[in-house]
Amino acid sequence: MNILTMLWKNLWGGNRTTLFPARPKVSAGYRGLVEFDPELCTGCAICKFRCTARAIEFKAGKGEFTWSYDPGQCTFCGRCVEGCAEHALKEGHTEHALSQESAPPPIYFRSGELKHAYTVKRKTTVKAAAPQQANAPSPSPPANSPAPGGTQ
Amino acid sequence: MNLTTALARLLIFPGLLFAIPAAWFFLWVERKSVALMQGRVGPPFMQPFFDFIKLLGKTTPPRSGVGGLLMRAWPLIAVSAAAGAVGLLPVLPSSGGFEGDLILLLALLELPSMCIIAAGFSSRSIFGEIGSAREAVLSVAYNVVFLLAIVSIAAAQHTFRLESLAALPATPMRWLGVLALLVCLPAKLHLNPFSLPNAEQEIYSGPMVEYAGPELAMWELSHGLEWVAATGLVATLAAPYITLWWLAALVFVGIMVAIVLALSTLASATARLAIDTTVRFYWQCTLIFAVLAVSSALFMRLRS
Repeated sequence: MNILTMLWKNLWGGNRTTLFPARPKVSAGYRGLVEFDPELCTGCAICKFRCTARAIEFKAGKGEFTWSYDPGQCTFCGRCVEGCAEHALKEGHTEHALSQESAPPPIYFRSGELKHAYTVKRKTTVKAAAPQQANAPSPSPPANSPAPGGTQ
Repeated sequence: MNLTTALARLLIFPGLLFAIPAAWFFLWVERKSVALMQGRVGPPFMQPFFDFIKLLGKTTPPRSGVGGLLMRAWPLIAVSAAAGAVGLLPVLPSSGGFEGDLILLLALLELPSMCIIAAGFSSRSIFGEIGSAREAVLSVAYNVVFLLAIVSIAAAQHTFRLESLAALPATPMRWLGVLALLVCLPAKLHLNPFSLPNAEQEIYSGPMVEYAGPELAMWELSHGLEWVAATGLVATLAAPYITLWWLAALVFVGIMVAIVLALSTLASATARLAIDTTVRFYWQCTLIFAVLAVSSALFMRLRS
């Protein structure tokens, strides 16, 4: 009979689920989307090897490399951020991931829809002064990219 | 009942034109009430219709030979049988019927179950075969009670004609039979705690595992029509005789919705039983109950 009491309470106690497009709050442990800083990235591709969800892809080219990130495939495990020695990757928010109300994981309708690619020039190790300025990275996200290098 | 009346009943009311929207409505009531009792929002009103349309638009895997032909045929036979069963229900007073239509109704109600058994074995999937075997065992177990309950009602009231049964005043014997029918309905409609043949978590919906697209849509429709036919049968026997046609139809639908809600509550409140427990339940407990009903009905008939 206890189960009937529970059902009765559930019936009048409101819903725990929501209708689309309303979305639940993200959990306290949610790390947010990965932020990429092309200025700091050296193209070591450690992040690609640490990404078990294959959300990060890396293609090496002549004098440059392409780094891409698909938030639709990301599990927000944070292993890429942990492994990035240059701190070129950051979790969505400096303190605690994204704000709990406003930034749940993104919605997408087609596979790869949220993917963003950045083509970055490699930094050459030249003994001459100011190598950083000579080979400044040039992020080139797609035309419809909302925020290059930032949280999508 | 002439041919025109029979066709009108089969195709218009209470046949396909009424039964198909009613089937979707009952499927929605069941899903929504279970969701509310579990603290969920549940599907929107049109969801069963959208599911049906969506499935119709999908392609099915190509199947060749007699096996493929049979797999396509089973859901169609099930839908036809369930629609025919709904067409026989005497929703409106003096709406037709013939001598012994209750027996035909029982046969038509049983056909979808047999189609499910055949479909599971035709699919050659291990899950389908397990589901079919469970359905067969369950069918034998609950049908004894189901048929005995019907026989006891018919014997007590001296008729196998549905319309006559609906018109006659209810006796204690009929209420006993209706109670026995209600006990069988969860098994007939594959609801918890007797949802063994289509156990989603264990055998991936059993006989339905190899079905997709329009064929699965037909199975869903057949299931909805079974809801209408089975609850309609109980409503026919439980509803008081009313001469006003609109009031009769309203009471009929009201009783059906009440049964759907009661069965949904039972499904929400219980977990799936094992097959041996289920069979034991029907054979040991309910068989005694039904035998008591039949013997009482025969005793009353001898006295009268």
